[in-house]
Amino acid sequence: MAGREAGRDSDKKLEDILRLIELCRNIESSSVSPFEVDIREKLLLLKRHIPDWELIDVMLKDSEAMQRLVAIVKLQDAWIKHRASALFIDPLLLELKIQLISREELADCFAKCWHPVAQIDQLTAKGLEKAFVYWRDLVPLSERFRDQFGNYGAQTGLIQLEELESLSIFSKEEFESRLNTLHKELTDRSGGVEMDYREFISGQTPEETALRAYLAAFLVTEGRATLRVDPLTEQIFISTVQGTPGPETKSVAIAVR
Amino acid sequence: MSNPETERALLERKTRRAFQVLVLQRGRNPGVKGWEMKRYLGKDYKKVLEVLSDDLKPLGLEVFQVPGAEGTDDSTRFLLRFREAPTMSEAETAGFRIDDLAVLAASIALINSKQGRISRKELETFLRSKFPRWRIDYSIDRYTKRGYLDKDDKDMMRIGWRTRAEVDERSLMTMILAQGTKTTPEAK
Repeated sequence: MAGREAGRDSDKKLEDILRLIELCRNIESSSVSPFEVDIREKLLLLKRHIPDWELIDVMLKDSEAMQRLVAIVKLQDAWIKHRASALFIDPLLLELKIQLISREELADCFAKCWHPVAQIDQLTAKGLEKAFVYWRDLVPLSERFRDQFGNYGAQTGLIQLEELESLSIFSKEEFESRLNTLHKELTDRSGGVEMDYREFISGQTPEETALRAYLAAFLVTEGRATLRVDPLTEQIFISTVQGTPGPETKSVAIAVR
Repeated sequence: MSNPETERALLERKTRRAFQVLVLQRGRNPGVKGWEMKRYLGKDYKKVLEVLSDDLKPLGLEVFQVPGAEGTDDSTRFLLRFREAPTMSEAETAGFRIDDLAVLAASIALINSKQGRISRKELETFLRSKFPRWRIDYSIDRYTKRGYLDKDDKDMMRIGWRTRAEVDERSLMTMILAQGTKTTPEAK
């Protein structure tokens, strides 16, 4: 019972701190007079509560409240200085005056008190030289971050059969024979009806899957197989094409995972 | 041994140098800080600037100093400005519309009356009773960018360094208060 009472008391004290932080924050972000905060009273409150704090999070809140109070004191200082200066005019009176006078009169008041800065904004020989040296020494964008990021920034592109041949990944004969094997496999596995595309291209390894997808794309391009995408489920089906393909063709991009 | 003629020649050279330094914009903001002036002209730079300000009188210009945040001589910014205020038509040819100037005048006056800080929302709400919304947004952003107004991290609007340099704020407030209360259809 006593424990619960102590807990409630602690919550109440923490709430006091949070409320103080919120009050200071509101004053800081509005033009309300900073003298709305009774600094002495708030400091006494913090002083009274400080021996009870045990958790580091609560102590941090306490120091944040202290920091906010310091900011309010700073605002009070600025407020007094401003009020003491000749620039202080009752805001209500000024607002009323601005509402009553015309835009032309306002602009005229400004123009009469305005002394524009005179300056020449131009490119000097020294500036030009600096710009030239900067441009000369500037590393091209493609090479600038190579050390940190390598070549990951390089654009993705298309790899052609000729390139694969030149890299000795395929030979012309081998490619044709693999294509025929895959077509035969499709005919056998689908049994004349369409089958799931992803299931068909799936291999033992990601590399094999990519290779089968690459070959399947050739089968479709050559008109030996066709793809259909179910618009509702977005499932892709592949099937062999019997006879000559129709004239209507469409390009589909499929991500291989 | 220095004779008066040598001293005069030296002062003339320093005055010329001071004018060149002040008239050419070197950073983002116009003007030159006190410590830079000391580097260019030597310890007696203030005396040189006084001479320059007198020399520029026939041209309608003056050397003006804006106290820096630290309040020291080193942080003070020196710049060249018009001695006399331009006419309304001159202001307009410099690209300032009457409405833009009116928004700026009202903003400066209101910020000053609110102890130098006001939330942007509050400022906009006040100006909306007199100007169209699109002009308020555009003008506040434009004047903040040009240094006439300043915005802190809590979105509170303050007087910018350029206003301190170019505008006689005290006169502006007095003139606004001294204006007649005659209304125009536009002001309604």
